[in-house]
Amino acid sequence: MSGYDDSDHPVEPWGPHDWSHGAPHNSFSPIFMSMGIALFLFMMAQAWSFGTYTPGYIPGILLGLAIVGFGLFIFWRQDISFDGSYEPRSSGVPFKNIQIRKVAVWVFLMSEMMVFTSLFSTYMRYRLGIENCGDMYERLEASHELVSGATYTCFEPASHLIASSGWHLTPGAINTFALILSSFTIVQALRYAKMPDIDEEVRRRKVYRYLGSTWCLAVLFLTLKMVEWFIGFHIPEIGFLGISEQNIHPLVAEGYTINADAYTHHDYHDFIMNIQVSASLFYVTTGTHGAHVAGGIIGLSYMTYKAWRGGYTPTNAVSIEYFGLYWHFVDLVWVLVFPFFYLY
Amino acid sequence: MAHYKILGRDPYWMNFFGLMILTLIEVVAVYLPLGGVAGDYGMTEKQLTLWILTFIAIPKFAMIAAIFMHLFGDEDSKILTLTALFPTFFIIVMVLFIGLTHPDATTGLPAWCRPGTYGL
Repeated sequence: MSGYDDSDHPVEPWGPHDWSHGAPHNSFSPIFMSMGIALFLFMMAQAWSFGTYTPGYIPGILLGLAIVGFGLFIFWRQDISFDGSYEPRSSGVPFKNIQIRKVAVWVFLMSEMMVFTSLFSTYMRYRLGIENCGDMYERLEASHELVSGATYTCFEPASHLIASSGWHLTPGAINTFALILSSFTIVQALRYAKMPDIDEEVRRRKVYRYLGSTWCLAVLFLTLKMVEWFIGFHIPEIGFLGISEQNIHPLVAEGYTINADAYTHHDYHDFIMNIQVSASLFYVTTGTHGAHVAGGIIGLSYMTYKAWRGGYTPTNAVSIEYFGLYWHFVDLVWVLVFPFFYLY
Repeated sequence: MAHYKILGRDPYWMNFFGLMILTLIEVVAVYLPLGGVAGDYGMTEKQLTLWILTFIAIPKFAMIAAIFMHLFGDEDSKILTLTALFPTFFIIVMVLFIGLTHPDATTGLPAWCRPGTYGL
């Protein structure tokens, strides 16, 4: 804690955030948000337990969301007064003289890394531990042991469907480029926010345009994810390019669902598969990543609005840097998700 | 922000172009018929593709972490890199002591949590 004296600078109703006098960075909103998230997840699990829907838990879900919203609201109120004049630094090893918030973001990213590592290691283990459906089909076909109407449990990666044609792969491929581009745009926003010798209006325009572009790319990512999972798209005939008219079905319409116990791929004849493990691994991993993008969109919405109001200056531009770390991490995870879940 | 240049140019632009090119190579690698080449190395086409994808994912990962996330070139880069690498310890524990020592982990589970038998 700093040498802050409460009697000189009374604590405000929204928390001790008298930044100009080195206020301690204690905020109770993370505790509220954690409680809200715990309640939300617990009630969600109860509401859809073992495939049975129990509407009595819906108020609990909404209450959890309301508590999360309340926590975010307090965060926002505390951030509004932050003009960057006081950025506390760590005084102890090993992070001596590094901004405390920066360290906190890295520790947070470390825990995030563990979450995604668990998902990736589970995927690797099952992918290598359960016989691949393609291999099983070829083996059974070759030995004439394929039993018509029987269900086989095997690992059917989503990539078998997604990478089966260029059109199926298009949303994922565009998303890859969109995320890389968004990593670049947010770095540019930080660069202009930190630039000391630049006109205030030029800074405001540059920062909100780059942050706005990042927001648009994030929304594009989730939209294409929905297209890929649930909506699909139509390709019109383009004669001079040799493209024929076709409908690209979404994964769900192809039968690749999280609880598919009788799935058939169009490449296999009369081969029914139980793909619950492979499909749930795909949806949980890419869904967790998508949830991180959705969380980023919430943060970006606020930051873009703040930038539009001219809220970023070289002194408080670190906020963009800290959010940028999170956003690059989301990109980093996708760099691994795309080849191993979409291409391989 | 970065206080250095890559090949005399802005590092963020260079990184961006580099990432785009590597991603293009990934997509091309999936569509190229590599069966013949894979056979020369005693691998299946799928295995060769996986090696290529892994080989490309590593520099992409490093480029984002080092340049966009400032784990290279800043005064606090070293300690923050060590912080970021800290989970590696747990990952190694997981892979060495759980993954590799229990090859039957996916099939030797209790019936209630084995693939296809948990009744969803």
